[in-house]
Amino acid sequence: MFRTVAITGFVAVIAAIVLHFVISRPKFDDVFGKDRALRILDPLRLLVLFVTLLFVEQKWSLVGALRKLVFLLALLCFVILAVTGFVPRVVIGEAISGWWLFIHAIAAGIFAACLAILAVLWADENRLDKNYWPWLNRILNRQPKSETPPEKYEIKLKICFWLILALSLPVILSAILSMFPLFGTHWQENLLLIHRYSTLFLSLFAIAYLYLAAISEIEKTTAK
Amino acid sequence: MKKGLAINVLLCLIVLAPAFSADTAEKLGDNPDGSRATPLHLIPLLAEPLTGKEPDQIHPGDEPVLPFSMKQTCGACHSYDIIGAGWHFNAADPNVDPGRKGQPWILADAAAATQIPLSYRPWPGTFRPEQLGVTPMKFLELFGRQMPGGGIGEMLHKTDNPEEILRLNITGQLEINCQACHDTSPGLDMGSAAGYAWQIIRGNYRWAATASCDFAYVTGTTQGLPEYYDYMAPFISENTKLRPPAVEYSKSAFGHNDWVRFDISRDIPRQRCYFCHSNADIHKGQIEQWKADEDIHIKAGLTCVDCHTHGLEHNITRGYAWESCDSNNPLVPVSSCEGCHLGEGSSKPVRGRFAAPVPKHAGIPPVHFDKLSCTACHSGAWPAASTIHTKTSRAHAIGVAGANPSPDVLPHLSYPVFARQRDGKLAPHKIFWPAYWAEMTGDTVTPLNMDIVKDATSKVITRDALSKVGDWPDLTQHDIAKILSLLAPNMSEGARLVYIGGGKLYSLDEAGKLASARSEWAAPYMWPIAHDVRPAAQSLGVRNCQDCHTTDSPFLFGLVSVDSPLKTAAGTSVEMVKFEDLPRFYTKAFAWSFIFRPWLKVVAILSSFVIAGVLLLYTLRALWFVTKVVVGKD
Repeated sequence: MFRTVAITGFVAVIAAIVLHFVISRPKFDDVFGKDRALRILDPLRLLVLFVTLLFVEQKWSLVGALRKLVFLLALLCFVILAVTGFVPRVVIGEAISGWWLFIHAIAAGIFAACLAILAVLWADENRLDKNYWPWLNRILNRQPKSETPPEKYEIKLKICFWLILALSLPVILSAILSMFPLFGTHWQENLLLIHRYSTLFLSLFAIAYLYLAAISEIEKTTAK
Repeated sequence: MKKGLAINVLLCLIVLAPAFSADTAEKLGDNPDGSRATPLHLIPLLAEPLTGKEPDQIHPGDEPVLPFSMKQTCGACHSYDIIGAGWHFNAADPNVDPGRKGQPWILADAAAATQIPLSYRPWPGTFRPEQLGVTPMKFLELFGRQMPGGGIGEMLHKTDNPEEILRLNITGQLEINCQACHDTSPGLDMGSAAGYAWQIIRGNYRWAATASCDFAYVTGTTQGLPEYYDYMAPFISENTKLRPPAVEYSKSAFGHNDWVRFDISRDIPRQRCYFCHSNADIHKGQIEQWKADEDIHIKAGLTCVDCHTHGLEHNITRGYAWESCDSNNPLVPVSSCEGCHLGEGSSKPVRGRFAAPVPKHAGIPPVHFDKLSCTACHSGAWPAASTIHTKTSRAHAIGVAGANPSPDVLPHLSYPVFARQRDGKLAPHKIFWPAYWAEMTGDTVTPLNMDIVKDATSKVITRDALSKVGDWPDLTQHDIAKILSLLAPNMSEGARLVYIGGGKLYSLDEAGKLASARSEWAAPYMWPIAHDVRPAAQSLGVRNCQDCHTTDSPFLFGLVSVDSPLKTAAGTSVEMVKFEDLPRFYTKAFAWSFIFRPWLKVVAILSSFVIAGVLLLYTLRALWFVTKVVVGKD
């Protein structure tokens, strides 16, 4: 069941990303310039661009450096956790064990710590404090405080951020609580189930978040 | 003429019909009426009948006094043939599924530097007795002491040895001794000098069951008796040293009609089982049973037969996880560990039989139950840095008067060794390292006849080299080479002689020098164990994960000593991970990682608190905002 749901979920998200990109992709000329050589390498250029966009803008301060470092570390751990967690279960069809489990457990602790730090550093700038839903304000007969319009993917990004944070709690707690002599076999299996599904949804939202962040940056760049 | 023939045929049918129907007719005791009370067994003692005759009742004044026959006495009311097909008696039946491999009979002979597993059941790793020239009668001589009779004991006529066929007339067959299990009398004598076991050792098969009863005493022996000996007739011989078997019944045992009362029960006391199924662990060279706890199920009030049970057919449940594949006993599904403690019935709950507690296994990831059997954590001795030497009833004749009490006597058994059983799960096993002389043809090893072996080894292994306590003799590689040379004339065409011992295969190379090599034939023989079960509070993992997951954990890295007849090879051992078929480096690394497990827990919990705090803070802020909007203050 989980295997089916996971495959469906990943396929759906990736398909949605691909479809969105195809529909709304910025023109290569706008992104890379008209004078570029070897236009056949444009897809590769796009891939490199996506990767470089993951290296978030760094502010020249200790906190700024810490943000970037923690983000990159979290990203790396996320990839490791996703691969070691999903490949055995979804691709191979076996329970995670052996070196997969070993590496998964190492990355898990680091990822949890990084998420906590990112939560503190990014929570404030991800507040829903703009006129995101004019229709709601009309219903409530409310004058919004700020007239600044949100950026194109801003609301989606912020919602993804908070969902990732919210899902990270069951992901972490389901794994850690199973390590204490609190739950018997039945609830151990339930905890494993919670861990699997919350991790799956966290991964899907994380992939969406990364895509939206990258496409948002690209569109900002081409708009300039 | 034709009319006369027809009448004769009809008469034969009428005469023979009762005989046919008697074999298949249901008997009084075959189908109990359902009462849990034990019927009174005040019954006549019946002797072994002459061919074609009815069995005679035994009276205290008979001359000569005959042993009574279980087959006739108990068989009058209980179908002996149905019972005789049960697990304890059917080892030699080739049509019986051997099931999970178990403890074999071990032919141990220090003078021949041999300890080899024998079994009539085709368990992998064992040899059939006839491969070593062990006839059914020889088998009884060696192992009948702790066999319940029947089975091979009633197949003594299946031999090509004319001497044994003649001897059979003297010894009789070894019938099933129903008393060995079902007699609850405190006077049942299985192991004393005049008891069941010693009667078999003396060749008194016909008298063995009688000797076990508390109202009978058997003296004498069939050994040395001439061929004309007839147990039903007075024995006359010039050799006054010969004392044929003689039975003396307690006159007070005979009551009305000279019937005898048997203290029979279906609820067999554990002491009956212990005679054949005892284990004695050796600690610091000593065996002290008072220091070892019995199985927790026994201490909780259960008897062996509460779990190991059966009906008339005596197809006893053995209790292993996949037994349903091998046995049609209807109680098998609820007589294993899981069956009693965790079983989930489809139409009604089945767990909790005999007040079995339902374990929570709190804190144990479910993957453990896919990789480990219940016995891995709950059974046998707590794993130590190296395996524990042990003795068993059937291997060492413990419980039989005169058995060698030395902790070093052959065969050398040790445990627990954690290895994979048939279902792929790790389970504790008992182990011993076979040692025997054989010939090898291609990849097949066939043990040599023991008579041939002894003839050769006696020329090399002298009395002085033998251990006083029954341990291995002082054996060197030179001795092995010499014995192999002496055995050469007995070698089959195209074969080469080998000696298996201590996990290695020894043979002479073309230059006549002894060479050793690893071989699957030299692999140890192992069988899964389940007893004695420790209490839950003494199970592996009850304290913390480090009971198993540490870099020096006996469960993973304990040492399994290799028992070798060669003094030069003494002291070698193999790490447990090899038997568990686990990669050593990964297992060490994973165990090492548990040092950091508390750190992982702390980091994860603190991170959860921080994330929860951030979520709570901003949720409350959002809630504050919503309330302001709702009351119109925004």
